[in-house]
Amino acid sequence: MSFAASEISLPGLWPSIWKLLRLRLVILARSFRRSSMRRKIVVVFLGLLILAFLGFAFFISWKLLRVLRSPEMAQFSSEFSNLLEIFPTLVFSATFLGIFLTSFGVLLQALYLAGDMDFLLSTPLPIRAVFVAKLLQAALPNFALICAFALPVLFGIGASAEYTFLYYPGVLLEMAALALAAAGLSAMLVLLVVRIFPARRVAEVLGFLGAIFSILCSQSGQIAQWGEFSPEQATRTLLLLRQADVAWSPLTWAGRGVVSLGESNWLVGGGLTLLTLALAAAVFTASLVAAERLYYSGWAGMKSEARRRKTPRVASIKPLFPVWVNIEKSAIRLLSAPVSGLIAKDWLVLRRDLRNLSQLVTPLIIGVIYAVMILRSDNQPPSLSSPDASPWIRGMMTNLRTYLSVGLSLFVGWMLLARLAGMGFAHEGRSYWILKTAPIRATQLILAKYLVAYLPSVALSGLYLLAIWLIQSAGLITLIYSLAVIALCIAGNAGINLAFGIAGANLNWEDPRQMQRTFSGCLGGLTTMLYLPLSLLLFFGPPIAFAAFNLPEAIGQIFGLALGGALSLACAFIPLFVVYKKVERLGED
Amino acid sequence: MSTHIPFIKTQHLVKKFGDKIAVNDVNLEVFGGEIFGFLGPNGAGKTTTIKMIVGLLQPTSGRVKVGGYDVLTHAGQAKSICGYVPDTPNLYAKLTGRELLRFVGDLYGMPRQQIERRIEELLRLFDLVQAGDDTIDSYSHGMQQKIALAAALVHDPKVLVLDEPTIGLDPKSARLIKDILRQMAERGAAVFLSTHILEIAERMCDRIGIIHQGQVIAVGTMEELRKLRGIGSGSISLEDIFLSLTGGTEYAEIAEVLK
Repeated sequence: MSFAASEISLPGLWPSIWKLLRLRLVILARSFRRSSMRRKIVVVFLGLLILAFLGFAFFISWKLLRVLRSPEMAQFSSEFSNLLEIFPTLVFSATFLGIFLTSFGVLLQALYLAGDMDFLLSTPLPIRAVFVAKLLQAALPNFALICAFALPVLFGIGASAEYTFLYYPGVLLEMAALALAAAGLSAMLVLLVVRIFPARRVAEVLGFLGAIFSILCSQSGQIAQWGEFSPEQATRTLLLLRQADVAWSPLTWAGRGVVSLGESNWLVGGGLTLLTLALAAAVFTASLVAAERLYYSGWAGMKSEARRRKTPRVASIKPLFPVWVNIEKSAIRLLSAPVSGLIAKDWLVLRRDLRNLSQLVTPLIIGVIYAVMILRSDNQPPSLSSPDASPWIRGMMTNLRTYLSVGLSLFVGWMLLARLAGMGFAHEGRSYWILKTAPIRATQLILAKYLVAYLPSVALSGLYLLAIWLIQSAGLITLIYSLAVIALCIAGNAGINLAFGIAGANLNWEDPRQMQRTFSGCLGGLTTMLYLPLSLLLFFGPPIAFAAFNLPEAIGQIFGLALGGALSLACAFIPLFVVYKKVERLGED
Repeated sequence: MSTHIPFIKTQHLVKKFGDKIAVNDVNLEVFGGEIFGFLGPNGAGKTTTIKMIVGLLQPTSGRVKVGGYDVLTHAGQAKSICGYVPDTPNLYAKLTGRELLRFVGDLYGMPRQQIERRIEELLRLFDLVQAGDDTIDSYSHGMQQKIALAAALVHDPKVLVLDEPTIGLDPKSARLIKDILRQMAERGAAVFLSTHILEIAERMCDRIGIIHQGQVIAVGTMEELRKLRGIGSGSISLEDIFLSLTGGTEYAEIAEVLK
């Protein structure tokens, strides 16, 4: 028996989409209304700032492009003038690619990992409506961001070339249509990937790759030698950009379409613009149809997915370095069971969680980049010590260079340490209750977390120093002294970072970036920045001074170890002693 | 049977969050060999009381003793004889079930051989042998609940505190947990559990405490609770007693209207 069809009225597609989008708007407006006056002022101020930026970017683009388009300038930079003509195509291509790439992660989160999906899919709303609403919610922020950069430039091009009025709505229409098509394609890719791999795992891998990619991009400037960038290379780059302007590409049609509209070439402009709009609509419709077929089945499959059988790790996978594993196990056995258990657990969890791994790999990447830079410098002393300088200056500079490598090793170790010690407690998150209800003392907890952070950081810094030492061929005594400095310096640094990590631990985090409270994180970073140069001054000041005054360097090193060691040990213990009581109350906020 | 040794004892327990009094002057005693059911409406203070008993929250005033040890001053001793299962099992997602149990065993300072033996026993008991080498993030809610209970039992605690232990469990697993709790009580352990399912409390618990707006309003066996409400008949259910004590009878009228 079933109810009569007339008794049940299902909501339509567009009213459902509007309902879902309106909900977001209501939440947004309400959160603004309920925020403090200070926050409201900040938001309004930021809005005005963005508007001012848009206006400024438009004005600069307009004036600059006008100058570049002038016949006087064109003769100096013909390649650039040619490039201006295809600029709309380049911007549309960048928009399409940018939305396509950035939407993947956002859509994965919105379509499969959002907390409201169970609720939404249990309501009689059409799945297509849920999909479109999620798609728009995910794509809109990225679209707005890209528009903020692209529109002033595109409008600037229009104003400088004195295009007709139709150019401007044409640009807006094309941008919106291409963004929707890119988001639709990205969504289809998400739907397909999630049918093969678990959504959560895909998100983890994506986060890992994203973090590594951004680190590589940010550090690539260190490797690239911009000073040697020749005019030929610049021309080659411009030619490379011109290759985006290919006749068969719909993105080129979009660019050429709006330019033709601007140049009053109505037939070509209207035709190309309509063609690209139709293509974008077709792609978006295809993604909607695919969503209808793939989304629910993918979602349902994810929910009911049988657990994949895994072979027991311990039994089946042989370690690469069995000797090292045995040493690790023997070392851990020296500690009490709770401490060794905690260390073993932390190292397992840190290795397996890709979100952590990306943060842990960062220092390795930076270390490799700086090692490459050292190798590139052909092992020459710093340029300050010219061949004409006195032997006294040259000796001091050589000493300084040796000890600078210790500073570099410490920097690499510090990056790892900042993550391991700073987030040591916060990393437990909502699982902290397991530790808190166990009969483990605060001192044992602190010791375990200290060792989890200290041992890998010392090992990494030590290995890094060893590698530089092999490159620089410094003396054995210097190496031993430098290793001792690293061990002591990191000990102090670990104490500071762990103490601030305890003071600012947020155990209710969802996103790993929220693990530590901002104030405590900044204060910890500042303290470390004070501590590191001061300790290095105490460690290296005496040996460098002794060597400079022709006194035995070894005695200077002993003085250095005594002074720097005292500061390091004080920093290793005192901050932890101060926050010791807080460990007992952690998680009670 | 009860041995009349208070394994859990709270004295004038108070917990305030700012101006709000979550738990107000709670005095409870739970003896070895008994299952004590802790009931109350949503927001009555059950979880806050439980968190103070297991040492997750520090009381604003009052004392909690577990096995005769003050949870604040002798935390190590009190915690070493206590096992706890929270309402939401937030566990280390990237550890396997077996690794989690090994880790908990280490935390309680158990010898390694004993840990391994207990792990095999518990995984078999909870039907998790196959899933023992899978990471916990691949477990269903029910499996997570079971591995959390297994973790609480690794060190064979004398006091077991459970917050809504049967939520999300299938009937078979729920029955298993009930049997385990009964066996533990028969072996002399004190079991303190909070639940919303009054049928479980009525059938399983030797004594029941009812908390309402932060205060314990009734404690006793089913018979004692009936007498407290002046109801002599054995046919009156715990639900009737609970609703009459916590002022929920008006909901029954609403339910009648909805019919």
